Amino acid sequence: MSEVMVIGGGIAGIQASLDLADMGIKVYLVERKPSIGGVMAQLDKTFPTNDCSI
Amino acid sequence: MLDAGRHPNIKILAYSEVESVKGQAGAFTAKVRKKARFVKEDICNACGDCLAKCPRKVPDDFDMGLRDRRAVYLYFSQGIPAVATIDKDHCTYFEKGKCRLCERVCQRGAIDFEQADEILELSVGAIVVATGLDVFDPTPLTQYGYGRIKNVITGLEYERLINATGPTGGHLYRPSDGKLAKKVAYIQCVGSRDLNYCKHCSTVCCMYAIKDAMLAREHDPEANSYIFHTDFRNVGKRFQEYEIKGRELYGINYVRGRVGEVQEDKEGNPVVWYEDTLKREVKSLAVDLVVLAVAAMPAKGSKQLAGILGIELNESGFVRVRDEEPADTSKPGVFACGFCNGPVDISESVSQASAAAIRVAEMILPEVKVAAG
Repeated sequence: MSEVMVIGGGIAGIQASLDLADMGIKVYLVERKPSIGGVMAQLDKTFPTNDCSI
Repeated sequence: MLDAGRHPNIKILAYSEVESVKGQAGAFTAKVRKKARFVKEDICNACGDCLAKCPRKVPDDFDMGLRDRRAVYLYFSQGIPAVATIDKDHCTYFEKGKCRLCERVCQRGAIDFEQADEILELSVGAIVVATGLDVFDPTPLTQYGYGRIKNVITGLEYERLINATGPTGGHLYRPSDGKLAKKVAYIQCVGSRDLNYCKHCSTVCCMYAIKDAMLAREHDPEANSYIFHTDFRNVGKRFQEYEIKGRELYGINYVRGRVGEVQEDKEGNPVVWYEDTLKREVKSLAVDLVVLAVAAMPAKGSKQLAGILGIELNESGFVRVRDEEPADTSKPGVFACGFCNGPVDISESVSQASAAAIRVAEMILPEVKVAAG
């Protein structure tokens, strides 16, 4: 069975889902908030490069 | 985010929670409750007509309550899936039995008040836990005055204020009177490295305080920042240089010493009382705004989730992972990555996520076998 459930749609959950999906694995990405993004989506810039977070 | 939304192999189940998990590695059955949004996901195009007409205002949790959203809302403007949601607990129709204005203005007929929660049964070979963090509520630490002194805010609230899409459009207007904050104090280790609350170090606060102070200076050349730190724990590639750049290029004042108390003067300015441990003097400093670097801790509900999954947590409530395989939990077939394993920054979260993905692939794809060591 090549299906996986990822619990949490923040940066870690999204990255794990993308890696799995790129390997041909079907992923269910479960997020309790109305949209994925997690805490990182709330941030303005990120250290140490001061790049925008999204 | 967008890539995940578009990927043919990823099915996003947002506004959903895991209710139960049965089975074992290779053959789990998970029950997931997909909560009713009362909006048809396949029809709504997030145009926002319903938001404009909804009469009910609710503090916006994405903006840390610094502005109001409506009872029908988009969690945030770039959110994926881009679909409106009706907050049942605050909707006038659910409270009083009439309104349904959103239904009338929606030109696509996407509003559906009859929608009910769905229980989905998923058959999966492996599970990845990536539940992240929630921040500590600093109200019990009464010496800092959070909740009592209006111009004392948390790091995440500051993050929304300085954000161009945030409630003030990126201007650092302080909460009490809307005055532009020019002198800002950052208090580190609030609730973390504290035996009474969280024993662990949240690891990201030293760096984000420096970043916050840099942003304040970028937005306003007259901004002055003071970071009151226990000690700097800037351990990472180019982190030390970042700290030096903060002092030399952005003029940030680093003050070594924990703050004893924050008081409020007659103009509503917070006054920070602290011991300068390098000069061995007790001093005070009046500022426009105080930002508390509150502890980051395991997400709410992670204990319950650990029970559902049958995995162990450590004494701080983070997922216990194996030393020799840091993406493996105590249960075969269940992996974990990111802040739920313990404090990490974004780049480390991403590395851990890829590590968890490869462990899953090793388990369920026969052709993948990564050599150990």
